[in-house]
Amino acid sequence: MGQEEDCTAVLSGRVLDDHDKEGLSYAGVSIPAIGRSVQADAEGVFRMEELCNGRHVIIVSHLGCAPVERTVEIDGNTRVDFRLEHHAEQLRELEVSRRRPDENVGQAHEELDKSAMERNAGKTFAEMLATIPGVNMLRSGPTISKPVIHGLSGNRVLILNQGIRQEDQQWGTEHAPNLDPFSSDRITVVKGAASVQYGSDALGGVVITEPVELPREGGISGELRGVGVLNGRGGGGTGSLQGGVKGLHGLGWRLQGSGRFLGDSNAPDYVLSNTGVREAGASTSVGYRDHRWNASAYYSWFTRELGILRASHIGNLTDLNNAIESGTPWYAADFTYNIAAPRQDVEHHLLKAEAGYAISDRDRVVLTYGYQADDRQEFDIRRSGRSGTPAIDLFLTTHTADAVLKHWIGEHIHGKVGVSGVYQENINVPGTGIRPLIPNYRKQSGGIFLLEHLPLSPKVEMEAGARVEATQLDVAKYTFGNELITPRHDFANSAITLGANWSVKDSLRLRFNIGTAYRPPHVSELYSEGLHHGAAAIETGDATLKSERAVKVTADLEAVWLKGKLSTDITLYADRIDDFIYLRPDGVELTIRGAFPVFQYVATDAFLYGIDATLQYRLSPKWSIRSRTSLVRGRDLTRIEWLFQMPSDRTENALLFALPHIGKWSSVDISAASQVVFAQLRVSAGLDFVEPPETYHLLGLSASATRTLGKGELRIGLQTNNILNIAYRDYMDRFRYYADARGTDLTLWVCYSFGRR
Amino acid sequence: MEHDLKYLTMALIAAATITSCKKDEGPVIPASPVNEEELITTIILSFDGQAGAFDKELRFTDADGDCGGAPVYHLDTLQATSTYNASIILLNGTASPVDTISNEVLAEGVDHQFFFQLTGANITFAYADVDANGDPIGLGSTTTTGAASTGTLKVTLRHQPDKNASGVSSGDITNAGGETDIEVTFPIVVE
Repeated sequence: MGQEEDCTAVLSGRVLDDHDKEGLSYAGVSIPAIGRSVQADAEGVFRMEELCNGRHVIIVSHLGCAPVERTVEIDGNTRVDFRLEHHAEQLRELEVSRRRPDENVGQAHEELDKSAMERNAGKTFAEMLATIPGVNMLRSGPTISKPVIHGLSGNRVLILNQGIRQEDQQWGTEHAPNLDPFSSDRITVVKGAASVQYGSDALGGVVITEPVELPREGGISGELRGVGVLNGRGGGGTGSLQGGVKGLHGLGWRLQGSGRFLGDSNAPDYVLSNTGVREAGASTSVGYRDHRWNASAYYSWFTRELGILRASHIGNLTDLNNAIESGTPWYAADFTYNIAAPRQDVEHHLLKAEAGYAISDRDRVVLTYGYQADDRQEFDIRRSGRSGTPAIDLFLTTHTADAVLKHWIGEHIHGKVGVSGVYQENINVPGTGIRPLIPNYRKQSGGIFLLEHLPLSPKVEMEAGARVEATQLDVAKYTFGNELITPRHDFANSAITLGANWSVKDSLRLRFNIGTAYRPPHVSELYSEGLHHGAAAIETGDATLKSERAVKVTADLEAVWLKGKLSTDITLYADRIDDFIYLRPDGVELTIRGAFPVFQYVATDAFLYGIDATLQYRLSPKWSIRSRTSLVRGRDLTRIEWLFQMPSDRTENALLFALPHIGKWSSVDISAASQVVFAQLRVSAGLDFVEPPETYHLLGLSASATRTLGKGELRIGLQTNNILNIAYRDYMDRFRYYADARGTDLTLWVCYSFGRR
Repeated sequence: MEHDLKYLTMALIAAATITSCKKDEGPVIPASPVNEEELITTIILSFDGQAGAFDKELRFTDADGDCGGAPVYHLDTLQATSTYNASIILLNGTASPVDTISNEVLAEGVDHQFFFQLTGANITFAYADVDANGDPIGLGSTTTTGAASTGTLKVTLRHQPDKNASGVSSGDITNAGGETDIEVTFPIVVE
C-alpha cells in the first residue's frame, strides 16, 4: 500500500473495563508527543487517524482515574484494545490485551450487555431481547412472551442457558422460556442458521445467555438492583455476591437471586384481569481455573406462576366470535394481585458441571454435562373444585453431555471438534383427569461436529464446519380407543456452515454466512390429537412428518462513516426451509360444545427473507439520533401464499442525549423513542379468525445516570412505555382476539454495585 | 502429525464415553389411560308430558368426546299445544359406571346456566329451578308448545356466566359471558 512513509495509519480500538468487559464511555486517548487526542464514544470505541508508523506513547484516561501511559507500536492500521481495571478511585493497572476470540465469525449477532439489561429490568426475557432489531415477540397476553428471530420462534429458536440447551416445552405458543435473565450479565443473539455449532433447532437463530466470569482473586463484590413497575403495581429485584478465596488464586464463587411480582396489568380502558406474575430465581456457581485446569459447577432454580387473561378462556367458536365482535373483554374485574385459573405454574432446575484441561499451550479439552428438570402445571377453569387440579402436568428431564477439543492446526487454523449427546424424557404426571395433549416420550440424540477458523489474511477470516446428528424418538400413547401404541421414529440430519469476516477497512466490516440447520418434528407435531382450548381449535398431528431443513444466508455490514459520526449495522437474510411444519385449517368437527375448526399439522416449503438495519448519527457530542428498522417476509412456496403469523414491519426512531458528567453524576443518558408497528398486510385468506390489527405508534422515554456512593457505584434509571396510553393490539399477540395490549407503563430502577474483584 | 493423532484418539474416547451414556432400551413408560372426568358425552332433554301429553326425549351423544367418531342424535317430535316439565341430564359415558355430570352442574348452580334459543319452532322455555342466589340454572324448565311447526333449538350451557347482567336471568344469552361447556343444536318438529 506504500503507506509506510505517508502517515496515514489509523489507530482504533476500545477502552474496556477489565472486570465486566464493558466499554468505558468517553475515555480519553491521547498522544502528547504529537499533540493529538480523541475521546472514545459511549461504548468506549475510539479512532485516531493520520498517524505515522512507529512507537507512540499513548495516554489513556478515564473519569476518576489517574492517567496511565503505554507504548504502542503502530504499523499501518492498528487496532488496540485497552483494558482498565476501572474503579471509582483507583486505577491499578492498564494492560494492552487482544480482542476476545470471536465465536461467530461470519454470523450476524448482537449483544445485550449488562447496561442494556439493566435499562430493561422489570421486563420479561423476550421483551428484553425484542429491543434488538430482527427480534420480535410472540405473545399470549401481557404475561407470556417468546422470542421470535427473523420470523421464527418456539422450537425454531434455540436458547442456550449458560451454554446448555434450554429444554422447557418450547413447542407451546403459551410456554414462555423458563429462565431468569439476571442469572447472566450478557445475552448474545445469533441471527443465523447455526446447527453446526449448536445442534438441532437453530433454524432462525440462537439466544445465548453467557455465564458470568468468576473472580479469581480474594475480595468480595456484589450488586443490588431494584425495580418498580407502575402498570401491574409491582416490581422486582436481584442481588448478587461474588468473590475469590484469599490464598487460593483461581478459585471464585458467585451467588445470585432475583424475584418479580406483578398484579393485573391495565389496558387503557380496562383491567386485564388475571394477568399477575410471580417469579423467583436463584443461582450459584463455583469455579477454579489455573493455566492448565479449569472446573466449574453451576446450579440455578427458577419458578414462575402466572395468570392467563380471564377473558381469553373460551369454550367454543361462538365464544371466540362473541369476543371478536364485542371488541372488549367479557370479563374485567377490579385490580388484584391474586392469580386464579387459568394459570400456569412452572419450575425449572439446571445443573451444569464443566471441566477443561489444556493438553498443550494452545489446545484444550472441555467436558460439559447439564441436567435439567422442567415441571409445568397448567390449571384450567373446571367444574367441581377441579380448578385446583392441573389440566396439564408435564415433567421433562434432559441430560446433555458435550466433549469439545479446542485446537490449533499449524500457525493459523484453529477451531473445535466435538461430540454431543442429549437424553430426554417427558412424563405426563397422572391425575389430571384429562387426556394428555402430548404423549410420554423419550428422545435420544448424538452428534459430532467440527468447526475451523482460517484467517486468510489479517483482514479476512474464514469459518467452515459440519455436523452430523442422529435422533431417536420413542413414544407411548393411548389412542382414542385407549389402545397403547409405541411408535419409534429415527431422524438423521446434517448441517454445514461457511462464513467469512472481512474487515475491509477499519471502519467497515462485512460478515457473511451460509449455514444449514435442522429440526426433527416435535412430538406435539407428530401426535397432537384434541381440542386446544385457548385456540378454539382441534389440532391433529401427523406421524409421517419429516425433519425441517433450513438453508440460511446472512450478510451483515457494520460500518462507521463521516469520521465516526454515522454508524450503520445492516443485516440481510434469506432462509429457505424445506418441510416447514405448520397448522393448516382442515374442515370442521361437530362436538357437544359446538362446531370446531380442525387444524392439521402439515409440511410445506417456506422462504423467509428480510432486513434489519440500525443507523446512528451523532449530531453533536451530546446529541444523536438512532433508527432501527426490521422487515421480514415469509412465503409458502408450495401454496404460493404468505406464511401465517409473521412479524409486521416495524421501525423505532430515537433521539438520544448523553452527558459524560453533570455535578456528581456521570454517564447521564436520556432518550425519547417512537415505535411504529405497521399492520400486517401480507396474510393469506382462511388462516385466521379475524383481520390483522391496525398500525400503531407508541412513544417511550428513558433516562439513566451513574454516580459514586460510598465505596460503590449507584445507577438509577427511569423508563416509560406507551406514554400516550394508546389502545392497540399487536398481530403477534395471540390474545389480540380478546383484549387490548398494556397501556402506559412506568419503570423505575436502581442499581448499586460495590466491592471489587 | 503425532499430535493430530493424539487429538483424534482423545476425541474418539470422548465420543465413546458419551455414546455409552445412552441408557438402556427399555420401553417408554406410558401414561396410564386417562379417565376423562369432566367429559360430557351425552345431553338428554327429557320432556315429561303434562295433562295427557306423551313423554318425549331429545338426545345428543358423542361417545368418544371431542375427536374421533361423529355424534349421534335421537329426536322425538313434540306434541302441539302441550306443556312439558323438561329436565336436562348430562352424562359422561366414558366413565364406568356412567357419570352423571348434571349433578356437578346442579352442585355448582351459581356458576352454570342453560340457555334455550329457538328458531322457527313454536316453543317457549321458562326456567323452573333456582341456584343458591335465586337465579335460574335451567336443568329444569317448563316447556310449552304452540301450533305445529318446525325449526331448531340451540341449547347452550355457560360456565361462570354473569347472571346479573341485563336479560341473563330471563334467558337472554347476549350479555352472559362465561365460557361455553355445551352448545348443541337440535332440529325440532312440533306436530
